[in-house]
Amino acid sequence: MRNIPLHRRKEVRLGFRYVLACLLVLVFVFPVYWLFIISFKTPDEIFAFPPVWYPKSIQFSNYFVLFKDGDAQTVLNSLILATTSTFFAMILGTIAAYSLVRFKTGGENLAVWIISQRMMPPVAIVFPVFLLYVFFGWVDTFFGLILLYTAFNLPYVIWMMRGYIEDIPLELEESALVDGCSRWEVLWKVVMPMARSGLFATAVFTFVFAWNEFLFALVLTRTEVTTYTVQVTHYFGGQSNFWAKIAAMSVLGTIPVFFAVATMQRYLVRGISMGAVKG
Amino acid sequence: MSDLKITGLHKYYGAFHAVKGIDLEVPSGEFTVLVGPSGCGKSTLLRTIAGLEEASDGVIEIGNKDVTWARPRDRDIAMVFQNYALYPYMNVFENIAFGLRARKIAPAEINSRVKRAADMLGIGALLQRLPRELSGGQRQRVAIGRAIVRDARLFLFDEPLSNLDAQLRDDMRVEIKRLHQELKRTMIYVTHDQIEAMTLADRIVLLRDGRIEQLGAPLDLFERPAGLFVAGFLGSPKMNFLPATLAGSSAVLSDGTKLVLPRKHGGKNGQAIILGIRPQHIALSGKKPMLGHAQLKVTTELVQPTGSRVHVTFPLGGKTVVADFEFHAVSKPGEKISIDIDMTRAIIFDPQSETVI
Amino acid sequence: MAATTALHAHPDRNFRYWLLTPAIFLLLLVGLFPLFYSLVVSFMRIDMMDTDTSFAGLYNYAHLFSDKRLWAALAHTLLITVIALPVELLLGLAMAYVFLEKMPGRQIFISLLVLPTIISPVVAGATWRLLFDNRFGPINQVLGWFAGHPVTALWTINPKLVYPAIIFCEIWQWTPFMFLILLAALSNVDKSQTEAAEIDGAGFFRTFWRIVLPAIWPVMAIAILIRGLDLVRIFDIIWALTAGGPGTMTETISVYAYSQGFKQFETSYTAAIAFLVIIILTVVVTWAVRRMGLAK
Repeated sequence: MRNIPLHRRKEVRLGFRYVLACLLVLVFVFPVYWLFIISFKTPDEIFAFPPVWYPKSIQFSNYFVLFKDGDAQTVLNSLILATTSTFFAMILGTIAAYSLVRFKTGGENLAVWIISQRMMPPVAIVFPVFLLYVFFGWVDTFFGLILLYTAFNLPYVIWMMRGYIEDIPLELEESALVDGCSRWEVLWKVVMPMARSGLFATAVFTFVFAWNEFLFALVLTRTEVTTYTVQVTHYFGGQSNFWAKIAAMSVLGTIPVFFAVATMQRYLVRGISMGAVKG
Repeated sequence: MSDLKITGLHKYYGAFHAVKGIDLEVPSGEFTVLVGPSGCGKSTLLRTIAGLEEASDGVIEIGNKDVTWARPRDRDIAMVFQNYALYPYMNVFENIAFGLRARKIAPAEINSRVKRAADMLGIGALLQRLPRELSGGQRQRVAIGRAIVRDARLFLFDEPLSNLDAQLRDDMRVEIKRLHQELKRTMIYVTHDQIEAMTLADRIVLLRDGRIEQLGAPLDLFERPAGLFVAGFLGSPKMNFLPATLAGSSAVLSDGTKLVLPRKHGGKNGQAIILGIRPQHIALSGKKPMLGHAQLKVTTELVQPTGSRVHVTFPLGGKTVVADFEFHAVSKPGEKISIDIDMTRAIIFDPQSETVI
Repeated sequence: MAATTALHAHPDRNFRYWLLTPAIFLLLLVGLFPLFYSLVVSFMRIDMMDTDTSFAGLYNYAHLFSDKRLWAALAHTLLITVIALPVELLLGLAMAYVFLEKMPGRQIFISLLVLPTIISPVVAGATWRLLFDNRFGPINQVLGWFAGHPVTALWTINPKLVYPAIIFCEIWQWTPFMFLILLAALSNVDKSQTEAAEIDGAGFFRTFWRIVLPAIWPVMAIAILIRGLDLVRIFDIIWALTAGGPGTMTETISVYAYSQGFKQFETSYTAAIAFLVIIILTVVVTWAVRRMGLAK
């Protein structure tokens, strides 16, 4: 390599990186591709040997079945649960985060306790929560799951919004206070608009967490508010003849997440690293 | 009638005592400047007046109404902040109108008041711009516009010019002075810059370590400082302080130089003193001294031209003394020159109590 | 002075508490209450047959130590964690280096690579179930090309293959997470420092060890912590892929606790398991936070 000119070496390296990049994308994207492709295949193509790598035509019949049987309702359930719980978690979490940042309420200890709630393994609380819900009659209700998802995502929202609110200059709030706003008005008219990109990014993540949640939904739903993640596992019947349904349902459940994440590329790293990396 | 009256004000941050008992009365229409070195409590005092900090003790009255425990918005004040505090997602018009909207003033009224304020500040053409599209000076004008449009009883300025470059700072200083003359409102202005304090103030409140050191008209403070600290803080270059001993009506410097003190003073014979001489009161002279002036021969050390003036340093009485001469009076360091000190304006201090004798 | 302060309360003094109240209430309801409930119940003997609410002492906790299935579940969890976590970290780091320098289309590549991380773990498990199918799955097919004869490995059933299957799926889903965070961390490393080291003649590994690693460590430590905690409570992927089978071979601690609670209705014993998990996690996290220098 030593006698190759510098710019040639750079080109060789770039080419090498491209080859690696393509290989990586192939490995990591192929399973998703396979999932999508199965959902568009006919039964003959799904159970063909050797496997059919790409379908001859795009079939929507697998999706029609989901809608006809009413299984697609579970996607709607997930949507209702995820959006509503995200809405409440964002409002309650943001005002709580504001209190932590602006008034140092509870000091560092309270903030640490809140984030430690997120470290809690769900399986440790799911059983008592289940008994509580049986007692109150909240099992298999939207109210029950929304309450749970809201509470479960609160630590994340508070933690993330704390970081975004810390970035807002205090002077803006003080100026508004002097100019005639009450504390609440400062919150709605200054803090929320100033943190709007952070709010949006955090909301998208909260939505995705609620959307993808499985354990609580498995335990606390029966028939009324079954989520799509639970519905997918209902098709695991031992034999593999529900493949088309598994794939189609998974795709229905995955597309919203793709869109959600695509809208906030800039905040992706900050969101998943829980604020450890500021974009 | 006074617009602001503060009685026995204290402010603690935990164990830290930031404001240590301030009494202050500001008459209607006066431009008061709170000045002092950083950490003297001037910003804390202003923020307590605004209600952004809670008073630990004492009473604050604005317009003869006790507002010690009132919310900032109920105090009839407007405030301009150091970093402009403009809302980045609102255009200039909305920024200026923000306080009026918060107070539910009729849209037509808001329109005319914003226009008037903007024209007064020469930003009438920028109303549709966003803050990020403005220069530093324009942003500061918007911030001032947002305050004056409110038509409040008391205007508070928290170091509003400290983020601007030197040229812009001079322009804005003139602008603020002009605004005060036009509006005739009570204004309280915090700065650490003594030139701003001298040029803007009707009255200066000089703070040190949470207490008022001295208050009065700028020239009073300059000419008749109450003590060493005030004398040293105001004036540029700084006043020269020379340790000396009183001998009859003369002060004897440590190198034996004898300077006659023409003014009356309360010092005793043989008492150690500090002699304060402003650089402006030292002149270059070859002529016979006037009455009350002292004449000395010194060797120059440093020569610093500033454009219009030249600052020359020389050793005297074991100290380095600065003199403020007219330009091209002296050209070379190491030159022997003859100087004339106006001893009628010299001040003598007690080194222990740091007060004027 | 005290008198004036007491007489006049600031009008907005309680505002901060109003803001926090709803959030704290919810956290107590679904966070602290169940824990407290578990604690009480774990000292009783409540199961499917019996509702004995008298104090049973450490009966359930004593039972933990003789429960072979529990310790096996802990071992399974540990096995998955100690293999998957380092692989995800190293692979993610290597991938981050591939994409560290600018290249045309870089953002598109990165966006595509993120896909596995954002989909639901249940969907990930389901996807790999399809990929691993012994007859119609593409994995056996590709292996067949290399082997020269048809491969019919039963990935989710064969005891020898079931762990590799789970770990493959886990690594596939979460390596992009590590990749994305480490890429951001590497991009933030001061370039003048690495260049200075190269000019001084330090090789790649030396530069990495001495300059890059200390710079990215705070972020890397948090990524390890987040992933480590997720791995210890792994449930969704297992449930979708093997449901703990064959038999109880891939039963992790979460799967075991679930089956004790919702299949055996061992209320008290489940509560005791929950506390064991919380204690283990608290100890490990506290140790890790100290060890990794994350404590502020």
